[in-house]
Amino acid sequence: MAEINLSFSVNDQKMEVSTEPTRTLLSVLRDDLKLKGAKEACGQGDCGACVVLLDGEAVNSCLVLAVQAEGSQVITVEGLASKGQLHPLQQNFIENWAFQCGYCTAGMLISSYALLMDNPNPNPEEIRAAIAGNLCRCTGYHEIIEAVGKTAADLQQPVLTSES
Amino acid sequence: MPEFDVVGKPLAAVGSQAIVTGKAVYSPDLELPNMLVGKLLYSPHASARIQKIDVSFARAVPGVHAVLTADDIPGENSYLYWYPDQPLLVSDQVRYQGDAVAAVAAESEEIAQAALEAIIVEYEPLEGIYDPEEAMQPGSIQVWPDKGNVQSHYVDHWGDIERGFVQADVIVEGTYSTHYEEHAMLETESAVAYLEPDGTVVVYASAQAPHRDRLQIARALGLPEAMVREITPHIGGAFGAKDEANIQIHAALLAFETGQPVRIVRTREESIRTHVKRHPARIRYRTGATKDGKLTAVHMIAIGDTGPYVNAGEEVMMVMANYGVSPYYVPHARSEAYTVLTNNPICGAFRGFGVPQVTFAFERQMDELARRLEMDPLEIRQLNGLKTGQRFQPKAIVRQGDGMQACLEKAAQLSDWHAREKISRQPAPHLRRGWGIAASFHKSGFGCDVTDHASAAVNMAPDGSVLVRTGAADMGQGAHTVVAQFVAERLGVSPSQVNVYKPDTTLAGDAGASVASRATFFSGNAVVRAAEPIRKVLLDLAAEETGADLDLIDLGDGFVHVEGERVNMPVSDLAGKAYEKNLPMQASGFYAMDYPDAELPDGSSGYEQLASFGAHVAQVLVDIETGQVEVEQIVAVHDVGQVVNPSGVRGQIEGAVSMAFGFTFMEELLVEGGKTLNNSLESYLIPTSFDTPDIKIGVVELHDPEAPLGAKGVGEPPINITPAAIANAVSDAIQAPVNQLPLAPDRILKAAQAVVEGGMDAS
Ligand code: FES
Ligand code: FES
Repeated sequence: MAEINLSFSVNDQKMEVSTEPTRTLLSVLRDDLKLKGAKEACGQGDCGACVVLLDGEAVNSCLVLAVQAEGSQVITVEGLASKGQLHPLQQNFIENWAFQCGYCTAGMLISSYALLMDNPNPNPEEIRAAIAGNLCRCTGYHEIIEAVGKTAADLQQPVLTSES
Repeated sequence: MPEFDVVGKPLAAVGSQAIVTGKAVYSPDLELPNMLVGKLLYSPHASARIQKIDVSFARAVPGVHAVLTADDIPGENSYLYWYPDQPLLVSDQVRYQGDAVAAVAAESEEIAQAALEAIIVEYEPLEGIYDPEEAMQPGSIQVWPDKGNVQSHYVDHWGDIERGFVQADVIVEGTYSTHYEEHAMLETESAVAYLEPDGTVVVYASAQAPHRDRLQIARALGLPEAMVREITPHIGGAFGAKDEANIQIHAALLAFETGQPVRIVRTREESIRTHVKRHPARIRYRTGATKDGKLTAVHMIAIGDTGPYVNAGEEVMMVMANYGVSPYYVPHARSEAYTVLTNNPICGAFRGFGVPQVTFAFERQMDELARRLEMDPLEIRQLNGLKTGQRFQPKAIVRQGDGMQACLEKAAQLSDWHAREKISRQPAPHLRRGWGIAASFHKSGFGCDVTDHASAAVNMAPDGSVLVRTGAADMGQGAHTVVAQFVAERLGVSPSQVNVYKPDTTLAGDAGASVASRATFFSGNAVVRAAEPIRKVLLDLAAEETGADLDLIDLGDGFVHVEGERVNMPVSDLAGKAYEKNLPMQASGFYAMDYPDAELPDGSSGYEQLASFGAHVAQVLVDIETGQVEVEQIVAVHDVGQVVNPSGVRGQIEGAVSMAFGFTFMEELLVEGGKTLNNSLESYLIPTSFDTPDIKIGVVELHDPEAPLGAKGVGEPPINITPAAIANAVSDAIQAPVNQLPLAPDRILKAAQAVVEGGMDAS
């Protein structure tokens, strides 16, 4: 099959890949770009382990063709921390034991991140809804919902600057 | 209660930084140069004779490096969980839908798939046997030519049940059934295998029992075990499904054949099709009690459909019999379990290991008794709960039984049990509220006279950092976090200074499988023992350096403490000194459980068994027009010994309750003619963020000297009793017995309808 050239940004870095047009974004991220954070746990849109941010929207990357990402901005779990600093969501997932095996975590984090971008102050029902497509077999979801709620509260705090 | 620095304190889980940044490496994430993709060809039939297998076309596909059939296996062509009855690759007869016929290794997923499609297999479909009770009948179709379909009939009995039933004022009887459950761990089975230049076969696998896997891989390759090395990287959940070896053996075979690294990752469909399930069970109970509610006799018969290969099936059914009457004291008991062979999916290890099924049935009996005797369900449990010294199995008595009453009491208190009648039972014309209680008993360890041990090694570096090598897999349940905390506690360093190596059969001794909620207990004890000689060296040095009396010295927060006061002497300095002075900073530890001898009521000899207890209360609201159930709350109380990590304990309990909720209401693997019908996460539904009930957790901390720093495991007990508590609550709400899982709306409607028509005894 003829390969096509794609260019898009992943975690704020410009990427060029040449790939067959039938490949999914998940497979290109994992196999070509070696970003193994997003997982494949079903390959057909049922579990959310592969969720990444595509132009600000949380998508199941196993259902998105790589060509659909042409010219887009993709954020994966690897892009949440900046300059070695964990994002507050990541910090709260750790502190609140919002995972056990961690296989669902990449998708959970990105779905939660997308929620907080849209709705900085979600209530628990809204959090439940945002992660309803992300299956977790280990936790009872409570720890995850709390971690997201806690992050929202943390981010609402006025940032203290050195002058204040 | 002992004072701890690290144990009992919240601590981030080992590996959590890697997990949230996406850097944690799971088996499917591994990449090696020249790695091939491995795939297996599974049978389209559940029962068939193989007439012919032709792999010549498949071998000719460009990019295919190997196509293996049974003939190409250098060693033994069988798994060895317990019996060598299941072929790795089937050559003559297919006995279930998960039988594999061939294995291929190719340069890409697509080529591997093309190779599978190019394999020609001629099957002659055979009639199979798909109903366990039918399979037990003489003259039924036999799964195996040389043995009957009843693989085992295991019986636990003591006392004389005839006498016990004569002493009974009331006898209740019931038949209960449970369904197939699928583990649905998020990471499917996966492995990568390659050869070292010296011929060692290295296998990275998502596995619960690396040492047992090593044995099986070595057998299949015809190599000594020492030439096989299995390493478990991060594991994406297991719950029993990865207790058995699976495609890691095929990956090793393909790597051995091709000389190149091979990765196999099962698709979700393959995963559901192949690995073991929770046994569907049909259980009959007959239970007798005096009019005061004291149990006099119990007779239980369980039938478990185990599929064609034994795997852990016989053990699961034995455990079902073992737990037939616990957590209650019964003077006369007979607990029977049949393991039946069919052509249905194989059943084996699944969190709870047979106990959820039998507990559901027996706890329904207890409620039925309470109803007949007009007793409070809590009271009948308090009255009969196992106590210290009482027999719960033919040869075993309870070593310390205080947990039973403590858990019941705490569960009653947290659920406001005694005030429940103040809450409306009928908040709306179509709604009915109910409460249910169930209690749990869980043996720590497999039991006397069974292979059951763990080893571990600890090494302190000259800078005071610590390496721990354990063979115990951490599938996410936190075993390595517990281990790190134990070692940190004993050596007086921060847990961040402790590096727990991923289990590696070449570096670490056998710790047994991470099953039966045993990792904390067994590997915990092993690491505590391994840390002890190092602690001794550090303490001796500290005494020498400070001039203080040895028994006034302790280690904590990275420093030496004298009479509880921290002195300016870091543990890391002592470690450095130990090396200078040629003192050993390396030690290993081994643990096997001690079962003290005990005399049984009939004068015969037995043993004492350590156990943990638990009690759950469920509150539900049933819509009697739709059959829908809302679980308003689950109170979950467990005797965990010393809490090692509060978040870890909460995670284990909530996760198990959530999984049990799925088992109770929504998860049912449909099997027809030996084939599973819902082989995807779209059709096999597990709880989502909307399906998880409110859970209120209580812990009872009863210490036992045998437990490592007082801690016991809690991975399974919550799953054992949640279905029972919920079923009791639903029965209480609709005032009708529900004796069949899952509690699907139509079943609830039917049960409720029967009451309307015929009164409560209509069952
Ligand atoms: S792998 Fe994409 S939704 Fe499951
Ligand atoms: S932490 Fe294991 S699936 Fe969510």
